[in-house]
Amino acid sequence: MSLDWVPVVAVFYCKNVPGGGEEERHAIEKRYKGSARLYPIPCSGRLDAIHLLKALEEFADGAYVVTCPHGSCRYFEGNSWAAKRLETVRRLIESIGLEGARVGMVAESSEEPIDLSILTGEFINSISKIGPSPVLKS
Amino acid sequence: MPAKYLVHTSPAANRFEPITKSGIIAWEEGCLKCAVCVKKRCVYKVYEKRGLNPRQMIDSIDNLCMNCLRCVQGCPRELIHKSISPEYAAMGDDYWSPDIISKIWYQAQTGKIPVSGAGYPGPFSGPGFDSMWTDMSEIVRPTRDGIHGREYISTAVDLGGTEGALCFGEDGLVSGPEIRLLDIPLPILLRMPVSRKISPNIISGWAVAAKRLGTFLAVGAEEMVAAPESCRPFLMPILDGEVACPEGVRVVESTFSAEKDANSFKSGNDARFVCLRLPMNTGIEERVLAAARAGFSIIHIEASPNGSFLDDPGKTMKDGIRAVHLGLVEAGIRDSVTIIVSGGIAMAEHVPKSLICGADAVFVDLALLVALECRLCGRCDMDLPCPVEMDKAPPPWVAKRVVNLIGAWHNQLLEIMGAMGIRDARRMRGEAGRAMFFEELDKSTFQDLGRREEGCEIE
Ligand code: SF4
Ligand code: SF4
Repeated sequence: MSLDWVPVVAVFYCKNVPGGGEEERHAIEKRYKGSARLYPIPCSGRLDAIHLLKALEEFADGAYVVTCPHGSCRYFEGNSWAAKRLETVRRLIESIGLEGARVGMVAESSEEPIDLSILTGEFINSISKIGPSPVLKS
Repeated sequence: MPAKYLVHTSPAANRFEPITKSGIIAWEEGCLKCAVCVKKRCVYKVYEKRGLNPRQMIDSIDNLCMNCLRCVQGCPRELIHKSISPEYAAMGDDYWSPDIISKIWYQAQTGKIPVSGAGYPGPFSGPGFDSMWTDMSEIVRPTRDGIHGREYISTAVDLGGTEGALCFGEDGLVSGPEIRLLDIPLPILLRMPVSRKISPNIISGWAVAAKRLGTFLAVGAEEMVAAPESCRPFLMPILDGEVACPEGVRVVESTFSAEKDANSFKSGNDARFVCLRLPMNTGIEERVLAAARAGFSIIHIEASPNGSFLDDPGKTMKDGIRAVHLGLVEAGIRDSVTIIVSGGIAMAEHVPKSLICGADAVFVDLALLVALECRLCGRCDMDLPCPVEMDKAPPPWVAKRVVNLIGAWHNQLLEIMGAMGIRDARRMRGEAGRAMFFEELDKSTFQDLGRREEGCEIE
Protein backbone atom coordinates (compact mmCIF):
# COMPACT_ATOMS: atom_id res chain seq x y z
CA MET A 1 0.00 0.00 0.00
CA SER A 2 1.55 3.29 -1.01
CA LEU A 3 2.01 5.74 1.84
CA ASP A 4 0.48 8.71 0.09
CA TRP A 5 -2.73 6.91 -0.72
CA VAL A 6 -5.83 8.78 0.35
CA PRO A 7 -8.98 6.69 0.46
CA VAL A 8 -11.89 8.10 -1.53
CA VAL A 9 -15.45 7.04 -0.83
CA ALA A 10 -18.57 7.93 -2.77
CA VAL A 11 -21.58 8.29 -0.51
CA PHE A 12 -25.02 8.36 -2.08
CA TYR A 13 -27.61 9.43 0.41
CA CYS A 14 -31.28 10.08 0.40
CA LYS A 15 -31.86 13.78 1.00
CA ASN A 16 -34.25 12.95 3.81
CA VAL A 17 -31.67 11.28 6.09
CA PRO A 18 -30.50 13.11 9.25
CA GLY A 19 -27.63 15.51 8.50
CA GLY A 20 -28.42 15.34 4.78
CA GLY A 21 -28.80 19.09 4.23
CA GLU A 22 -26.55 21.17 1.99
CA GLU A 23 -24.74 22.91 4.84
CA GLU A 24 -23.97 19.62 6.51
CA ARG A 25 -22.69 18.35 3.19
CA HIS A 26 -20.22 21.22 2.98
CA ALA A 27 -19.11 20.60 6.55
CA ILE A 28 -18.53 16.90 5.87
CA GLU A 29 -16.53 17.58 2.72
CA LYS A 30 -14.43 20.10 4.58
CA ARG A 31 -13.83 17.70 7.43
CA TYR A 32 -12.75 14.75 5.29
CA LYS A 33 -11.07 16.85 2.58
CA GLY A 34 -10.93 14.96 -0.71
CA SER A 35 -11.83 11.62 0.89
CA ALA A 36 -15.58 12.08 0.82
CA ARG A 37 -17.59 12.67 -2.34
CA LEU A 38 -21.20 13.15 -1.45
CA TYR A 39 -24.16 12.76 -3.77
CA PRO A 40 -27.61 13.63 -2.47
CA ILE A 41 -30.35 11.74 -4.29
CA PRO A 42 -34.07 12.40 -4.15
CA CYS A 43 -34.75 8.83 -3.07
CA SER A 44 -32.41 5.91 -2.55
CA GLY A 45 -34.63 3.89 -4.90
CA ARG A 46 -33.31 6.17 -7.59
CA LEU A 47 -29.95 4.50 -7.25
CA ASP A 48 -28.98 2.14 -10.01
CA ALA A 49 -26.22 -0.45 -10.03
CA ILE A 50 -24.52 1.67 -12.67
CA HIS A 51 -24.04 4.60 -10.26
CA LEU A 52 -22.07 2.48 -7.80
CA LEU A 53 -20.11 0.68 -10.51
CA LYS A 54 -19.20 3.90 -12.31
CA ALA A 55 -18.03 5.47 -9.08
CA LEU A 56 -15.82 2.44 -8.35
CA GLU A 57 -14.49 2.50 -11.88
CA GLU A 58 -13.74 6.22 -12.06
CA PHE A 59 -12.57 7.50 -8.71
CA ALA A 60 -13.81 5.71 -5.60
CA ASP A 61 -12.22 3.03 -3.46
CA GLY A 62 -15.63 2.34 -2.00
CA ALA A 63 -19.22 3.30 -2.69
CA TYR A 64 -21.90 3.45 -0.03
CA VAL A 65 -25.56 4.19 0.22
CA VAL A 66 -27.43 5.72 3.14
CA THR A 67 -31.20 5.32 3.04
CA CYS A 68 -34.18 6.28 5.12
CA PRO A 69 -35.38 3.82 7.77
CA HIS A 70 -37.16 0.73 6.46
CA GLY A 71 -40.83 1.39 5.96
CA SER A 72 -40.52 5.18 5.89
CA CYS A 73 -39.54 5.74 2.28
CA ARG A 74 -41.40 8.71 0.80
CA TYR A 75 -41.81 6.64 -2.35
CA PHE A 76 -42.93 3.57 -0.34
CA GLU A 77 -40.37 0.95 -1.31
CA GLY A 78 -37.41 2.82 -2.72
CA ASN A 79 -35.04 1.84 0.06
CA SER A 80 -35.85 -1.88 -0.07
CA TRP A 81 -35.17 -1.88 -3.78
CA ALA A 82 -31.91 -0.05 -3.25
CA ALA A 83 -30.87 -2.92 -0.98
CA LYS A 84 -31.57 -5.46 -3.70
CA ARG A 85 -29.57 -3.51 -6.23
CA LEU A 86 -26.70 -3.23 -3.82
CA GLU A 87 -26.60 -7.00 -3.46
CA THR A 88 -26.42 -7.31 -7.25
CA VAL A 89 -23.48 -4.91 -7.33
CA ARG A 90 -21.74 -6.78 -4.53
CA ARG A 91 -22.05 -10.08 -6.41
CA LEU A 92 -20.77 -8.44 -9.56
CA ILE A 93 -17.66 -6.90 -8.01
CA GLU A 94 -16.90 -10.07 -6.08
CA SER A 95 -17.02 -12.02 -9.34
CA ILE A 96 -14.27 -9.82 -10.75
CA GLY A 97 -12.17 -10.24 -7.62
CA LEU A 98 -12.90 -7.05 -5.69
CA GLU A 99 -13.74 -7.13 -2.00
CA GLY A 100 -17.49 -7.16 -1.46
CA ALA A 101 -17.08 -4.74 1.43
CA ARG A 102 -16.20 -1.97 -0.99
CA VAL A 103 -19.90 -1.39 -1.36
CA GLY A 104 -22.37 -1.13 1.48
CA MET A 105 -25.63 0.26 2.63
CA VAL A 106 -26.84 1.74 5.89
CA ALA A 107 -30.52 2.15 6.57
CA GLU A 108 -31.07 4.88 9.14
CA SER A 109 -33.10 3.90 12.15
CA SER A 110 -36.02 6.06 13.19
CA GLU A 111 -35.27 5.64 16.91
CA GLU A 112 -31.56 6.35 16.91
CA PRO A 113 -30.57 8.10 13.73
CA ILE A 114 -26.84 8.37 13.07
CA ASP A 115 -25.54 11.56 11.57
CA LEU A 116 -24.31 11.39 8.00
CA SER A 117 -21.00 12.87 9.07
CA ILE A 118 -20.33 9.97 11.47
CA LEU A 119 -21.36 7.40 8.88
CA THR A 120 -19.02 8.95 6.31
CA GLY A 121 -16.16 8.71 8.81
CA GLU A 122 -16.96 5.03 9.33
CA PHE A 123 -17.01 4.37 5.58
CA ILE A 124 -13.59 6.00 5.19
CA ASN A 125 -12.23 3.93 8.08
CA SER A 126 -13.42 0.67 6.66
CA ILE A 127 -11.96 1.49 3.23
CA SER A 128 -8.65 2.46 4.85
CA LYS A 129 -8.54 -1.06 6.28
CA ILE A 130 -9.27 -2.73 2.95
CA GLY A 131 -6.73 -0.62 1.06
CA PRO A 132 -6.61 1.04 -2.36
CA SER A 133 -8.84 -0.28 -5.08
CA PRO A 134 -6.94 -2.25 -7.72
CA VAL A 135 -9.37 -0.93 -10.33
CA LEU A 136 -8.13 2.64 -9.94
CA LYS A 137 -4.46 1.67 -10.13
CA SER A 138 -4.78 0.76 -13.75
CA MET B 1 -29.81 58.51 -35.93
CA PRO B 2 -27.02 56.15 -34.81
CA ALA B 3 -26.91 52.67 -36.30
CA LYS B 4 -29.20 50.14 -34.71
CA TYR B 5 -27.53 48.43 -31.79
CA LEU B 6 -27.42 44.67 -32.08
CA VAL B 7 -25.80 42.14 -29.80
CA HIS B 8 -24.40 39.27 -31.82
CA THR B 9 -24.86 36.05 -29.90
CA SER B 10 -23.81 32.51 -30.72
CA PRO B 11 -24.30 29.33 -28.71
CA ALA B 12 -21.66 28.68 -26.03
CA ALA B 13 -21.96 25.12 -24.77
CA ASN B 14 -21.98 24.31 -21.07
CA ARG B 15 -18.71 22.93 -19.74
CA PHE B 16 -20.58 20.85 -17.17
CA GLU B 17 -23.92 19.14 -17.20
CA PRO B 18 -26.42 21.61 -15.76
CA ILE B 19 -28.36 20.58 -12.68
CA THR B 20 -31.96 20.12 -13.64
CA LYS B 21 -34.99 20.81 -11.52
CA SER B 22 -36.36 17.32 -11.30
CA GLY B 23 -35.06 13.81 -11.53
CA ILE B 24 -36.73 10.59 -12.61
CA ILE B 25 -37.07 7.80 -10.12
CA ALA B 26 -37.83 4.65 -12.07
CA TRP B 27 -37.43 1.14 -10.81
CA GLU B 28 -37.61 -2.25 -12.44
CA GLU B 29 -38.85 -4.16 -9.41
CA GLY B 30 -42.52 -5.04 -9.73
CA CYS B 31 -42.49 -4.41 -13.48
CA LEU B 32 -45.33 -6.14 -15.33
CA LYS B 33 -43.31 -6.37 -18.53
CA CYS B 34 -46.05 -4.73 -20.57
CA ALA B 35 -45.98 -5.40 -24.29
CA VAL B 36 -45.09 -1.76 -24.95
CA CYS B 37 -43.47 -0.11 -21.95
CA VAL B 38 -44.16 3.60 -21.40
CA LYS B 39 -40.42 4.08 -21.40
CA LYS B 40 -40.29 3.03 -25.03
CA ARG B 41 -42.96 5.55 -25.88
CA CYS B 42 -41.03 8.58 -24.64
CA VAL B 43 -40.89 10.86 -27.67
CA TYR B 44 -37.51 12.23 -26.57
CA LYS B 45 -36.07 8.72 -26.27
CA VAL B 46 -34.85 9.59 -22.81
CA TYR B 47 -34.60 6.01 -21.57
CA GLU B 48 -32.97 4.68 -24.72
CA LYS B 49 -30.27 7.32 -24.62
CA ARG B 50 -29.62 6.90 -20.90
CA GLY B 51 -26.04 7.42 -19.78
CA LEU B 52 -24.16 8.57 -16.72
CA ASN B 53 -21.66 11.39 -16.47
CA PRO B 54 -19.25 9.80 -14.00
CA ARG B 55 -17.37 13.02 -13.25
CA GLN B 56 -20.48 14.71 -11.94
CA MET B 57 -22.58 11.57 -11.30
CA ILE B 58 -25.38 13.14 -13.32
CA ASP B 59 -27.77 10.74 -14.98
CA SER B 60 -28.68 11.77 -18.52
CA ILE B 61 -32.33 10.83 -17.95
CA ASP B 62 -32.68 13.93 -15.81
CA ASN B 63 -31.17 16.31 -18.35
CA LEU B 64 -32.88 14.93 -21.44
CA CYS B 65 -36.36 14.66 -19.93
CA MET B 66 -38.75 17.40 -21.01
CA ASN B 67 -41.14 16.87 -18.10
CA CYS B 68 -44.15 15.88 -20.15
CA LEU B 69 -44.93 13.32 -17.39
CA ARG B 70 -46.30 10.88 -19.94
CA CYS B 71 -44.26 8.00 -18.57
CA VAL B 72 -45.14 8.88 -14.97
CA GLN B 73 -48.85 8.83 -15.71
CA GLY B 74 -48.72 5.88 -18.08
CA CYS B 75 -47.03 3.17 -16.02
CA PRO B 76 -49.82 0.87 -14.72
CA ARG B 77 -47.81 -0.11 -11.63
CA GLU B 78 -46.77 3.49 -10.91
CA LEU B 79 -43.13 2.56 -10.95
CA ILE B 80 -41.99 5.90 -12.36
CA HIS B 81 -41.88 9.07 -10.29
CA LYS B 82 -40.46 12.52 -10.73
CA SER B 83 -38.96 14.37 -7.82
CA ILE B 84 -37.20 17.70 -7.22
CA SER B 85 -33.47 17.20 -7.35
CA PRO B 86 -31.86 17.98 -3.97
CA GLU B 87 -28.85 19.56 -5.65
CA TYR B 88 -31.14 21.88 -7.59
CA ALA B 89 -33.07 22.92 -4.52
CA ALA B 90 -29.81 23.68 -2.70
CA MET B 91 -28.56 26.20 -5.27
CA GLY B 92 -28.40 29.90 -4.42
CA ASP B 93 -30.70 31.35 -1.78
CA ASP B 94 -34.18 32.85 -1.42
CA TYR B 95 -33.39 35.74 -3.76
CA TRP B 96 -31.05 34.04 -6.25
CA SER B 97 -33.44 31.15 -6.55
CA PRO B 98 -32.61 27.94 -8.44
CA ASP B 99 -35.07 29.05 -11.11
CA ILE B 100 -33.27 32.35 -11.67
CA ILE B 101 -29.91 30.59 -11.75
CA SER B 102 -30.99 28.00 -14.30
CA LYS B 103 -32.58 30.68 -16.50
CA ILE B 104 -29.32 32.65 -16.50
CA TRP B 105 -27.48 29.48 -17.54
CA TYR B 106 -29.89 28.98 -20.40
CA GLN B 107 -29.51 32.56 -21.63
CA ALA B 108 -25.73 32.47 -21.37
CA GLN B 109 -25.68 29.21 -23.30
CA THR B 110 -28.06 30.14 -26.09
CA GLY B 111 -28.32 33.95 -26.13
CA LYS B 112 -32.08 33.47 -26.36
CA ILE B 113 -35.00 34.60 -24.25
CA PRO B 114 -36.24 31.78 -21.98
CA VAL B 115 -39.83 30.84 -22.69
CA SER B 116 -41.81 29.32 -19.87
CA GLY B 117 -44.93 28.30 -21.74
CA ALA B 118 -48.47 29.59 -21.53
CA GLY B 119 -49.58 31.37 -18.40
CA TYR B 120 -47.65 32.47 -15.37
CA PRO B 121 -47.67 29.98 -12.51
CA GLY B 122 -45.88 32.12 -9.93
CA PRO B 123 -47.29 34.18 -7.07
CA PHE B 124 -49.33 37.32 -7.76
CA SER B 125 -46.91 39.62 -6.03
CA GLY B 126 -43.76 39.41 -3.94
CA PRO B 127 -41.18 41.61 -2.26
CA GLY B 128 -39.03 44.19 -4.08
CA PHE B 129 -39.19 44.24 -7.86
CA ASP B 130 -41.82 41.48 -7.77
CA SER B 131 -44.33 43.99 -6.43
CA MET B 132 -44.30 46.11 -9.56
CA TRP B 133 -45.81 45.58 -12.97
CA THR B 134 -44.95 47.51 -16.08
CA ASP B 135 -47.61 48.96 -18.30
CA MET B 136 -47.90 46.76 -21.39
CA SER B 137 -50.72 48.70 -23.06
CA GLU B 138 -48.94 48.96 -26.39
CA ILE B 139 -48.59 45.22 -26.70
CA VAL B 140 -51.90 45.17 -28.61
CA ARG B 141 -50.28 47.08 -31.42
CA PRO B 142 -47.63 44.90 -33.03
CA THR B 143 -45.62 47.13 -35.33
CA ARG B 144 -45.33 46.25 -38.96
CA ASP B 145 -41.64 45.53 -38.78
CA GLY B 146 -41.46 44.30 -35.23
CA ILE B 147 -39.23 45.64 -32.51
CA HIS B 148 -36.40 43.35 -33.53
CA GLY B 149 -36.83 44.31 -37.17
CA ARG B 150 -36.71 47.75 -38.74
CA GLU B 151 -38.44 49.58 -35.94
CA TYR B 152 -35.97 51.72 -34.07
CA ILE B 153 -35.86 51.58 -30.31
CA SER B 154 -32.85 53.19 -28.68
CA THR B 155 -31.50 51.61 -25.53
CA ALA B 156 -28.55 54.04 -25.32
CA VAL B 157 -28.00 56.05 -22.15
CA ASP B 158 -25.55 58.79 -21.16
CA LEU B 159 -23.20 58.73 -18.22
CA GLY B 160 -22.42 62.15 -16.80
CA GLY B 161 -24.41 65.28 -15.98
CA THR B 162 -25.87 68.08 -18.01
CA GLU B 163 -26.53 71.68 -17.01
CA GLY B 164 -30.01 72.65 -15.90
CA ALA B 165 -30.26 75.29 -18.63
CA LEU B 166 -28.24 76.46 -21.60
CA CYS B 167 -26.46 79.84 -21.34
CA PHE B 168 -25.96 82.04 -24.36
CA GLY B 169 -23.23 84.62 -24.76
CA GLU B 170 -23.33 88.05 -26.36
CA ASP B 171 -22.67 86.47 -29.73
CA GLY B 172 -25.73 84.30 -29.43
CA LEU B 173 -23.69 81.13 -29.17
CA VAL B 174 -23.95 78.65 -26.33
CA SER B 175 -21.51 79.61 -23.61
CA GLY B 176 -20.78 78.14 -20.22
CA PRO B 177 -19.05 74.90 -19.32
CA GLU B 178 -18.79 72.22 -21.96
CA ILE B 179 -21.16 69.31 -21.44
CA ARG B 180 -19.29 66.03 -21.41
CA LEU B 181 -21.07 62.71 -21.56
CA LEU B 182 -20.12 59.09 -22.03
CA ASP B 183 -22.54 57.30 -24.27
CA ILE B 184 -23.20 53.58 -23.81
CA PRO B 185 -25.51 51.63 -26.11
CA LEU B 186 -27.48 49.90 -23.36
CA PRO B 187 -28.26 50.73 -19.74
CA ILE B 188 -26.21 47.80 -18.45
CA LEU B 189 -22.65 47.94 -17.15
CA LEU B 190 -20.68 44.91 -16.01
CA ARG B 191 -19.09 44.68 -12.61
CA MET B 192 -16.75 42.27 -10.96
CA PRO B 193 -18.40 40.90 -7.76
CA VAL B 194 -15.91 42.35 -5.28
CA SER B 195 -16.71 39.89 -2.53
CA ARG B 196 -15.25 36.99 -4.50
CA LYS B 197 -11.85 36.02 -5.72
CA ILE B 198 -11.96 36.09 -9.49
CA SER B 199 -9.32 34.45 -11.68
CA PRO B 200 -7.42 36.53 -14.27
CA ASN B 201 -8.93 34.38 -17.05
CA ILE B 202 -12.40 35.47 -16.11
CA ILE B 203 -11.47 39.14 -15.79
CA SER B 204 -9.96 38.95 -19.25
CA GLY B 205 -13.11 37.35 -20.67
CA TRP B 206 -15.39 39.90 -19.00
CA ALA B 207 -13.26 42.78 -20.34
CA VAL B 208 -13.57 41.41 -23.88
CA ALA B 209 -17.34 41.09 -23.37
CA ALA B 210 -17.55 44.73 -22.18
CA LYS B 211 -15.69 45.83 -25.30
CA ARG B 212 -17.91 43.76 -27.58
CA LEU B 213 -21.03 45.15 -25.95
CA GLY B 214 -19.65 48.69 -25.97
CA THR B 215 -20.19 49.14 -22.23
CA PHE B 216 -17.91 49.24 -19.18
CA LEU B 217 -16.55 46.65 -16.79
CA ALA B 218 -15.95 47.93 -13.27
CA VAL B 219 -12.99 45.98 -11.99
CA GLY B 220 -10.57 46.17 -9.05
CA ALA B 221 -7.47 48.23 -9.84
CA GLU B 222 -5.26 45.23 -9.03
CA GLU B 223 -7.28 42.76 -11.08
CA MET B 224 -7.47 44.93 -14.16
CA VAL B 225 -3.96 44.02 -15.28
CA ALA B 226 -5.41 40.70 -16.47
CA ALA B 227 -7.54 42.46 -19.10
CA PRO B 228 -6.16 42.76 -22.64
CA GLU B 229 -4.66 46.16 -23.45
CA SER B 230 -7.19 46.79 -26.22
CA CYS B 231 -10.04 46.62 -23.68
CA ARG B 232 -8.68 49.43 -21.48
CA PRO B 233 -11.12 52.10 -22.67
CA PHE B 234 -13.94 49.82 -21.59
CA LEU B 235 -12.70 49.34 -18.04
CA MET B 236 -13.76 51.30 -14.99
CA PRO B 237 -11.10 50.68 -12.33
CA ILE B 238 -12.39 50.66 -8.76
CA LEU B 239 -9.95 52.85 -6.85
CA ASP B 240 -10.49 52.08 -3.20
CA GLY B 241 -7.87 53.81 -1.10
CA GLU B 242 -4.95 55.74 -2.45
CA VAL B 243 -4.32 53.84 -5.65
CA ALA B 244 -2.78 55.60 -8.61
CA CYS B 245 -5.18 56.01 -11.48
CA PRO B 246 -4.26 53.66 -14.34
CA GLU B 247 -3.57 55.04 -17.80
CA GLY B 248 -5.90 54.71 -20.75
CA VAL B 249 -9.23 54.55 -18.94
CA ARG B 250 -12.13 56.96 -19.43
CA VAL B 251 -13.87 56.59 -16.09
CA VAL B 252 -12.88 55.49 -12.58
CA GLU B 253 -14.94 54.52 -9.57
CA SER B 254 -14.09 55.88 -6.17
CA THR B 255 -15.48 55.86 -2.64
CA PHE B 256 -14.84 59.47 -1.80
CA SER B 257 -16.93 61.03 0.90
CA ALA B 258 -19.60 63.31 -0.42
CA GLU B 259 -18.17 66.26 1.51
CA LYS B 260 -15.25 66.48 -0.87
CA ASP B 261 -16.09 67.66 -4.30
CA ALA B 262 -15.42 65.93 -7.57
CA ASN B 263 -12.89 68.50 -8.70
CA SER B 264 -10.66 68.01 -5.68
CA PHE B 265 -10.45 64.36 -6.62
CA LYS B 266 -9.47 65.15 -10.15
CA SER B 267 -7.01 67.76 -8.83
CA GLY B 268 -6.15 69.24 -12.15
CA ASN B 269 -6.07 65.72 -13.51
CA ASP B 270 -7.37 65.05 -16.98
CA ALA B 271 -10.75 64.64 -18.54
CA ARG B 272 -11.52 61.40 -16.75
CA PHE B 273 -14.98 60.83 -15.37
CA VAL B 274 -15.36 59.93 -11.74
CA CYS B 275 -18.09 57.59 -10.55
CA LEU B 276 -18.74 57.93 -6.85
CA ARG B 277 -19.81 54.81 -5.00
CA LEU B 278 -22.25 55.16 -2.12
CA PRO B 279 -23.72 52.30 -0.09
CA MET B 280 -27.50 52.03 -0.18
CA ASN B 281 -28.10 52.74 3.49
CA THR B 282 -30.91 54.54 5.25
CA GLY B 283 -30.80 58.20 4.28
CA ILE B 284 -29.22 57.49 0.90
CA GLU B 285 -31.33 60.19 -0.77
CA GLU B 286 -29.66 62.94 1.29
CA ARG B 287 -26.20 61.61 0.61
CA VAL B 288 -26.86 61.44 -3.12
CA LEU B 289 -28.13 65.04 -3.04
CA ALA B 290 -25.03 66.18 -1.20
CA ALA B 291 -22.77 64.35 -3.63
CA ALA B 292 -24.59 65.75 -6.65
CA ARG B 293 -24.28 69.26 -5.24
CA ALA B 294 -20.58 68.65 -4.62
CA GLY B 295 -20.15 68.13 -8.35
CA PHE B 296 -20.18 64.35 -8.80
CA SER B 297 -21.92 63.61 -12.06
CA ILE B 298 -21.99 59.79 -11.91
CA ILE B 299 -23.10 58.08 -8.73
CA HIS B 300 -23.15 54.36 -8.17
CA ILE B 301 -25.48 53.18 -5.42
CA GLU B 302 -24.59 49.78 -4.15
CA ALA B 303 -27.37 47.65 -2.67
CA SER B 304 -26.98 44.18 -1.19
CA PRO B 305 -26.77 41.18 -3.52
CA ASN B 306 -30.32 40.40 -2.46
CA GLY B 307 -31.69 43.72 -3.65
CA SER B 308 -32.12 45.33 -0.23
CA PHE B 309 -30.55 48.14 1.77
CA LEU B 310 -27.15 47.26 3.19
CA ASP B 311 -28.09 48.34 6.70
CA ASP B 312 -31.70 47.19 6.67
CA PRO B 313 -32.66 43.98 4.85
CA GLY B 314 -36.32 44.92 5.27
CA LYS B 315 -36.03 47.81 2.81
CA THR B 316 -35.77 46.99 -0.86
CA MET B 317 -33.58 48.71 -3.44
CA LYS B 318 -36.68 49.48 -5.49
CA ASP B 319 -37.84 51.93 -2.81
CA GLY B 320 -34.29 53.26 -2.36
CA ILE B 321 -33.99 54.12 -6.06
CA ARG B 322 -37.39 55.82 -6.09
CA ALA B 323 -36.50 57.96 -3.06
CA VAL B 324 -33.17 58.99 -4.61
CA HIS B 325 -34.76 59.86 -7.94
CA LEU B 326 -37.58 61.87 -6.41
CA GLY B 327 -35.15 63.69 -4.11
CA LEU B 328 -33.11 64.82 -7.10
CA VAL B 329 -36.20 65.78 -9.09
CA GLU B 330 -37.51 67.90 -6.23
CA ALA B 331 -34.15 69.61 -5.88
CA GLY B 332 -34.27 70.36 -9.61
CA ILE B 333 -30.93 68.69 -10.32
CA ARG B 334 -31.96 65.30 -11.70
CA ASP B 335 -30.20 65.86 -15.01
CA SER B 336 -26.93 66.90 -13.47
CA VAL B 337 -26.24 63.38 -12.26
CA THR B 338 -26.37 59.80 -13.57
CA ILE B 339 -27.49 57.15 -11.12
CA ILE B 340 -26.21 53.60 -11.58
CA VAL B 341 -27.47 50.93 -9.21
CA SER B 342 -25.97 47.56 -8.39
CA GLY B 343 -26.81 44.50 -6.30
CA GLY B 344 -29.77 42.25 -6.81
CA ILE B 345 -29.93 42.64 -10.58
CA ALA B 346 -30.67 39.00 -11.27
CA MET B 347 -33.20 38.97 -14.09
CA ALA B 348 -33.74 40.82 -17.34
CA GLU B 349 -36.86 42.46 -15.92
CA HIS B 350 -34.85 44.05 -13.11
CA VAL B 351 -33.19 46.34 -15.66
CA PRO B 352 -36.34 48.14 -16.92
CA LYS B 353 -37.83 48.05 -13.42
CA SER B 354 -34.76 49.81 -11.98
CA LEU B 355 -35.02 52.39 -14.76
CA ILE B 356 -38.70 52.97 -14.12
CA CYS B 357 -37.92 53.49 -10.44
CA GLY B 358 -35.46 56.19 -11.43
CA ALA B 359 -32.02 54.74 -12.16
CA ASP B 360 -30.21 55.63 -15.38
CA ALA B 361 -28.38 52.33 -15.67
CA VAL B 362 -27.55 49.20 -13.71
CA PHE B 363 -24.45 47.22 -12.87
CA VAL B 364 -24.69 43.46 -13.36
CA ASP B 365 -22.39 41.56 -11.03
CA LEU B 366 -23.24 38.15 -9.58
CA ALA B 367 -25.17 37.23 -12.73
CA LEU B 368 -21.85 37.44 -14.60
CA LEU B 369 -20.57 34.56 -12.48
CA VAL B 370 -23.79 32.61 -12.83
CA ALA B 371 -23.46 32.99 -16.61
CA LEU B 372 -20.28 30.94 -16.22
CA GLU B 373 -22.26 28.09 -14.65
CA CYS B 374 -21.67 29.21 -11.06
CA ARG B 375 -24.21 27.59 -8.76
CA LEU B 376 -23.86 30.20 -6.02
CA CYS B 377 -23.16 27.26 -3.76
CA GLY B 378 -20.65 29.21 -1.69
CA ARG B 379 -18.15 26.35 -1.72
CA CYS B 380 -15.36 28.66 -2.92
CA ASP B 381 -15.81 30.80 0.20
CA MET B 382 -15.23 27.69 2.29
CA ASP B 383 -12.15 26.55 0.34
CA LEU B 384 -13.97 23.53 -1.03
CA PRO B 385 -13.39 22.54 -4.65
CA CYS B 386 -15.62 24.40 -7.11
CA PRO B 387 -18.02 21.97 -8.81
CA VAL B 388 -17.63 23.81 -12.13
CA GLU B 389 -13.87 24.47 -11.92
CA MET B 390 -14.42 28.19 -12.31
CA ASP B 391 -10.68 28.97 -12.44
CA LYS B 392 -10.29 26.94 -15.60
CA ALA B 393 -12.92 28.78 -17.65
CA PRO B 394 -11.19 29.93 -20.87
CA PRO B 395 -11.47 33.71 -21.62
CA PRO B 396 -13.08 33.39 -25.10
CA TRP B 397 -15.80 31.17 -23.65
CA VAL B 398 -16.31 33.58 -20.74
CA ALA B 399 -16.73 36.50 -23.16
CA LYS B 400 -19.19 34.59 -25.30
CA ARG B 401 -21.34 33.52 -22.35
CA VAL B 402 -21.55 37.05 -20.98
CA VAL B 403 -22.36 38.55 -24.39
CA ASN B 404 -25.08 35.91 -24.77
CA LEU B 405 -26.61 36.74 -21.40
CA ILE B 406 -26.57 40.49 -21.95
CA GLY B 407 -27.82 39.97 -25.51
CA ALA B 408 -30.82 38.04 -24.18
CA TRP B 409 -31.44 40.71 -21.55
CA HIS B 410 -31.19 43.43 -24.17
CA ASN B 411 -33.80 41.68 -26.29
CA GLN B 412 -36.09 41.44 -23.27
CA LEU B 413 -35.54 45.14 -22.61
CA LEU B 414 -36.63 45.82 -26.18
CA GLU B 415 -39.70 43.64 -25.68
CA ILE B 416 -40.73 45.54 -22.58
CA MET B 417 -40.01 48.95 -24.10
CA GLY B 418 -41.93 47.98 -27.22
CA ALA B 419 -44.87 46.81 -25.12
CA MET B 420 -44.79 50.03 -23.10
CA GLY B 421 -44.55 52.15 -26.22
CA ILE B 422 -41.31 53.77 -25.07
CA ARG B 423 -38.78 54.25 -27.83
CA ASP B 424 -35.82 55.57 -25.86
CA ALA B 425 -34.33 54.11 -22.69
CA ARG B 426 -33.58 57.62 -21.41
CA ARG B 427 -37.32 58.30 -21.45
CA MET B 428 -37.94 55.33 -19.26
CA ARG B 429 -36.09 56.80 -16.30
CA GLY B 430 -38.48 57.55 -13.48
CA GLU B 431 -41.57 56.74 -15.55
CA ALA B 432 -43.29 55.41 -12.44
CA GLY B 433 -46.62 56.45 -13.91
CA ARG B 434 -46.20 53.71 -16.50
CA ALA B 435 -45.98 51.02 -13.84
CA MET B 436 -48.20 49.75 -11.07
CA PHE B 437 -46.93 49.20 -7.57
CA PHE B 438 -48.60 46.60 -5.40
CA GLU B 439 -48.35 48.59 -2.17
CA GLU B 440 -49.98 51.61 -3.76
CA LEU B 441 -52.76 49.60 -5.40
CA ASP B 442 -53.38 47.73 -2.19
CA LYS B 443 -53.66 50.95 -0.28
CA SER B 444 -55.86 52.76 -2.75
CA THR B 445 -58.20 49.79 -3.16
CA PHE B 446 -58.51 48.42 0.34
CA GLN B 447 -57.51 51.21 2.67
CA ASP B 448 -61.08 52.36 3.19
CA LEU B 449 -62.42 48.89 3.86
CA GLY B 450 -63.53 48.48 7.43
CA ARG B 451 -63.44 52.22 8.10
CA ARG B 452 -66.66 53.80 9.27
CA GLU B 453 -67.77 57.15 7.98
CA GLU B 454 -69.15 59.46 10.61
CA GLY B 455 -72.94 59.47 10.59
CA CYS B 456 -73.22 56.43 8.33
CA GLU B 457 -73.52 53.80 11.04
CA ILE B 458 -76.38 51.37 10.61
CA GLU B 459 -78.79 51.73 13.47
S1 SF4 C 1 -41.58 12.62 -18.50
FE1 SF4 C 1 -41.89 12.62 -20.74
S2 SF4 C 1 -39.92 13.32 -21.56
FE2 SF4 C 1 -39.57 12.72 -19.47
S3 SF4 C 1 -38.91 10.60 -19.62
FE3 SF4 C 1 -41.11 10.56 -19.24
S4 SF4 C 1 -42.02 10.44 -21.29
FE4 SF4 C 1 -39.89 11.09 -21.56
S1 SF4 D 1 -17.65 27.12 -5.74
FE1 SF4 D 1 -17.85 27.56 -7.94
S2 SF4 D 1 -19.99 27.24 -8.37
FE2 SF4 D 1 -19.84 27.41 -6.14
S3 SF4 D 1 -20.17 29.59 -5.72
FE3 SF4 D 1 -17.99 29.32 -5.96
S4 SF4 D 1 -17.58 29.77 -8.12
FE4 SF4 D 1 -19.78 29.42 -7.92
